[in-house]
Amino acid sequence: MASASSTLDTVVLSIAHSLSAVERTFYKLPGSAIIERYVRSSHQNDPGRTFLELIIFFLVVRTLLQSRTRADRNNGKNFIEFTEKEIDELVDDWVPEPLSKPLDDIEAAELAAIPVIAGPNGPHPTLVNTGKPTINLASLNFTGLANNEHVKQRALESMRKYGVGSCGPTGFYGTFDVHLQCETDISDFLDTEAAILYWQGFSTISSVIPAFCKRGDIIVADRAVTLAIQKGMEISRSTIRWYDHNDLHSLEEVLQSVEKERRKRKGPLTRRFIITEGIFERDGTMTDLPKLIELKEKYKYRLILDESFSFGTVGRTGRGLTELYNVKASKVDMLVGSCAIGLCAAGGFCAGSRTVVDHQRINSPAYVFSASMPPLLAVSASEGINILRDTPSLLTRLQDNVRAARALLDQVESITIPSHRASPIIHLYLRSPSSTDNLLHPSSAALVSAKPSNPASPIARDAPVFDIEKEERLLQEIVEEAMAQGVMITKAKRVRGLEITEARPSIRLAISSALSKADTEKAVHILVKILKRKVR
Amino acid sequence: MALNRGSSPTSSLFKKQKHSSSSPPTAASYLSALSQADARARNAKRGTPTSTPALSISSSLTASTEDTVIAEEDDDNSDGLAVSVGRPPNSEQLYTTVHTEFGHCYDEEYRNISQHPLGEPIARHVERDPPYYILLSTYISYLILIILGHLRDFLGKRFHPHSYRHLMPHDGYAPLNSDFDSFYTRRLKQRMDECFLQPVTGVAGRTILLLDRYTPDCNQTQIILDTRTRALNISSYNYLGFAQARGGCADAVEEGMKRYGVTSCGSRLEGGSSDLHILAESVVAKFVGMEAAVISSMGFATNSTFIPALVSKGCLIISDELNHASIRVGVRNSGAHVRMFKHNDMKALECLLREVISQGQPKSHRPWKKLLLIVEGMYSMEGTMVDLPSVLTLKEKYKFYLFVDEAHSIGAIGPHGRGVCDYFGVDPRKVDVLMGTFTKSFGASGGYIAGNKALIDRLRIRGYSGAYAEAITPPVLTQIIASMASIMSIDHNVGSTASVNKLGLQISSSSSSSTRQLVSDYYHPGPISQRALPNWLSLPPPLASGAEGFMRLRRLSFNSYYLHRGLDKLGFITYGHPSSPIVPLLIFNPAKMIMFHRMMKDRKTPIVVVVVAYPATPLVTSRVRFCVSASHTKEDIDSVLRACDEIGDVLDLKHGLSKGERWNIDEVCRRAVELVHIPDNEH
Repeated sequence: MASASSTLDTVVLSIAHSLSAVERTFYKLPGSAIIERYVRSSHQNDPGRTFLELIIFFLVVRTLLQSRTRADRNNGKNFIEFTEKEIDELVDDWVPEPLSKPLDDIEAAELAAIPVIAGPNGPHPTLVNTGKPTINLASLNFTGLANNEHVKQRALESMRKYGVGSCGPTGFYGTFDVHLQCETDISDFLDTEAAILYWQGFSTISSVIPAFCKRGDIIVADRAVTLAIQKGMEISRSTIRWYDHNDLHSLEEVLQSVEKERRKRKGPLTRRFIITEGIFERDGTMTDLPKLIELKEKYKYRLILDESFSFGTVGRTGRGLTELYNVKASKVDMLVGSCAIGLCAAGGFCAGSRTVVDHQRINSPAYVFSASMPPLLAVSASEGINILRDTPSLLTRLQDNVRAARALLDQVESITIPSHRASPIIHLYLRSPSSTDNLLHPSSAALVSAKPSNPASPIARDAPVFDIEKEERLLQEIVEEAMAQGVMITKAKRVRGLEITEARPSIRLAISSALSKADTEKAVHILVKILKRKVR
Repeated sequence: MALNRGSSPTSSLFKKQKHSSSSPPTAASYLSALSQADARARNAKRGTPTSTPALSISSSLTASTEDTVIAEEDDDNSDGLAVSVGRPPNSEQLYTTVHTEFGHCYDEEYRNISQHPLGEPIARHVERDPPYYILLSTYISYLILIILGHLRDFLGKRFHPHSYRHLMPHDGYAPLNSDFDSFYTRRLKQRMDECFLQPVTGVAGRTILLLDRYTPDCNQTQIILDTRTRALNISSYNYLGFAQARGGCADAVEEGMKRYGVTSCGSRLEGGSSDLHILAESVVAKFVGMEAAVISSMGFATNSTFIPALVSKGCLIISDELNHASIRVGVRNSGAHVRMFKHNDMKALECLLREVISQGQPKSHRPWKKLLLIVEGMYSMEGTMVDLPSVLTLKEKYKFYLFVDEAHSIGAIGPHGRGVCDYFGVDPRKVDVLMGTFTKSFGASGGYIAGNKALIDRLRIRGYSGAYAEAITPPVLTQIIASMASIMSIDHNVGSTASVNKLGLQISSSSSSSTRQLVSDYYHPGPISQRALPNWLSLPPPLASGAEGFMRLRRLSFNSYYLHRGLDKLGFITYGHPSSPIVPLLIFNPAKMIMFHRMMKDRKTPIVVVVVAYPATPLVTSRVRFCVSASHTKEDIDSVLRACDEIGDVLDLKHGLSKGERWNIDEVCRRAVELVHIPDNEH
């Protein structure tokens, strides 16, 4: 007993000894007095408080020790632990889908029927498909600049000065004097403060949008904007509200509802944009620009206007919608156009104030991360502008041809034409029983206006229903028949399933001033005959 | 140099010759002019050096029918760029290029074949760390810059509200750019704006003409003067030196433009296709060794518009953390899930693969529809190369699809210039999708995607480039066809395909080194038949035979190795694989970047360089990125090395090799050939 108590004593003694040693070393440490004071003041004779402090201390240690990179591994119950063997089995079992499905017969036939031109493109190209010369109502050569000898000559000369490629992004020795010249030419032509060149028309708008619109900003867009705009908005991660296609009443309603929403939430002032097109790629309708400008100024929105199909095609000298409606181009905050379509060169541009343009030089992905446009194409774009400026007759001829074509097409009962009368791209819809197009039934129009569509959804409340497959097939037959008879036309090609809402299948005619009026009429006449026979 | 900027160039410095572009001078007269110029230059070298100011050529923008004659016409060579100082050509060799566009280098010693030794592991890229004081001072520099910037904003908003108007809400509009978002641009980047957006003119070849500019108000505005400075260009993506306004390719482009015009009017599926497009696509497919290819008119858009056609919701993209912005845009547009792995780290990749395949889709745990691994052949900021053999081994086990972005590697590496597959000797068909651009090696523009025929046909109708974006233009297509054909060499015998292949094998075996023992998996497609090219395309013999293309490949490889290893031996920290033409040199401190840029440009032989900093690189590893070209001569690389050596001493940039291991600059220049031929693993 005594020996037991003596051993206990020694144990207690040694513990007390070591404790005091620890205490002494603790006090020797610099700053230990502070810790001691902290512990004393927090303890305050209350073990509960110390316990709480300890819990907090351990939590901090745990958080610090946790690996941050394995966050998604540990995000709760969803992660399943497997042994290495199980993983090997799972890997062996997994069968991926093929990377791509081979084309089915219809797709393959359609791909084979794509017109391929032998030699230069122009009003009367020879097709590889048929081997015969045709009248071209498919290629985008609205003012006939593609065949201009002067442009070609200037492009050749600049090739002999600059070579072909620019060999660098604009930031790093890819800014050539001719690029700057072309930018100045565009801004002078449109009368804006500045302009910026992009290398591909399609990528222009889809890069301009994310350069300005960020998360939390508000975009109000037309329901029928082209895919490039849709993709730009997707990248921007902004809040999107939609208004009915080309319906400025609907736009005003949406603008009001957005304002109401903001007041209710008392959120901060964010950037707000209206995004729409001048002439719509999807159907050739035209925006009422003066009204749009009025609305944007009333509700304090910025306007991003895609003039890809209206720049170089409408207005007295081809300056686009702003010239047609006599609106100052500087009223449009970001005016996006295409040099490839309007000027028959390549690339696109965004014109606006100096702040707007300079901002893009650092923040626009397609501008910053891409090699700049070959100098010879910038020269052809500049020359195209000079020609448009000096020869308004090109535009009058284009309008004459558009009128001639419309006069013939309007007589066909089996089709509807959504396009604006001045638009040089003319879309033809089938007026077939498969569609319950509300345009055709005036009785349903009353129903439409009764309830506005939900602005958060890209799908309109009374969206027309149509049988895409059937219409596409019929239109394809018409296209192929026309090509066989020497008229080159095309369906509006779409990537089905990628667009937010499906566009109605259509035939897209591109009228050109390079064709004589007689040729245009002849070609449209052939098409009309086919339409009358094929579609009843 | 600075003195020269203000003065206008005298007209006696250059001569102009009228020639109508519709009838260019014949090749013979052109060559004789060149050799005369060369003779003069050699005489000048022997004579006393001239004391005229540095060369600055002005050429009028508007007078297009006049063309300044090649710089050799100029007797002034004080910047050392106009005439070749290397070994003169022997009697069989002729000048076929303009020295300022494509340097003359006739020394067969200065050649190397870019090829991975078969069977050996890829030399791992070792990141060398700088001393701690450099890191510390870099962080402190940024800290000072940030504090100063905020201080200026704070004071500026109170005393100069007008100049901050675009950053404040006004008139009911939110600012276009919040001051927080634009802080970096306004307060850090703007200080070094002289390094960016430099306007240039002429050909971006071996040398480049800078439009001199100055800023009166601390980079708020840049005023372009009408004087020019010719500088050695080690910045443009011109790997094979095809940025030329003269020579066989340019002649072909002229012919192509005469036949096809300038533009193609519309998208590929809607009346913008011509036979030239189809032809070019088959040439590209043959070049990269795939069944089919599709061409897009913009390199950036190739990724951003075709990746969404490959994968969709329910698929997973595994992406290297340093992949290019265009890939990120494409990935985001596709709607697929994305996971990233550490740059070029095969262990991390395998770990990730095991995790994602075993876990399946998040929450639902359904198996992924497909996995797509996206890597780049060569990384544009690091110069590192993907470890393709290891990736292919993983591919066999984990059944993912492989997308290799060869934007920088196609044409630039491999004994036949066919990119990473050629370099590592693997069959390109083992890769599912090969993507590349024409900007970097071929002096053109745009990009391609190559793969099997079913895939490419699918992409033609499902990639939105085909239906919505404009088609690539004929002059660019001709440049692509001509430059690719000259690397492939043209087979004029219109014989059966079997004989073509035989010839191809012959060429490949004669071109590869005799020490090769292992049989490469890479099947060299051989020369292209004349029938596969446009019948009007006629390239001059050196190009058509492939001799010049082969020379370009070997010169590029020599230059890449030489610059990489030269900088290493001088004691600098460089990144990347020695065979990559991208050579990043680490600078670290932000202030040194602008000084480096300025000191290089203000030398007697001006050199223009690209400096990159955050956000393109991590904050501390600011760097200067050299892009070597086949058009550089050995002497050009010498002068770059000499410049770096001098500036590196002044700016304290040598933190790589310890002092004892370093070579001095003269030794590096003298032992260049030896340096280049050290095997990768022993270096």
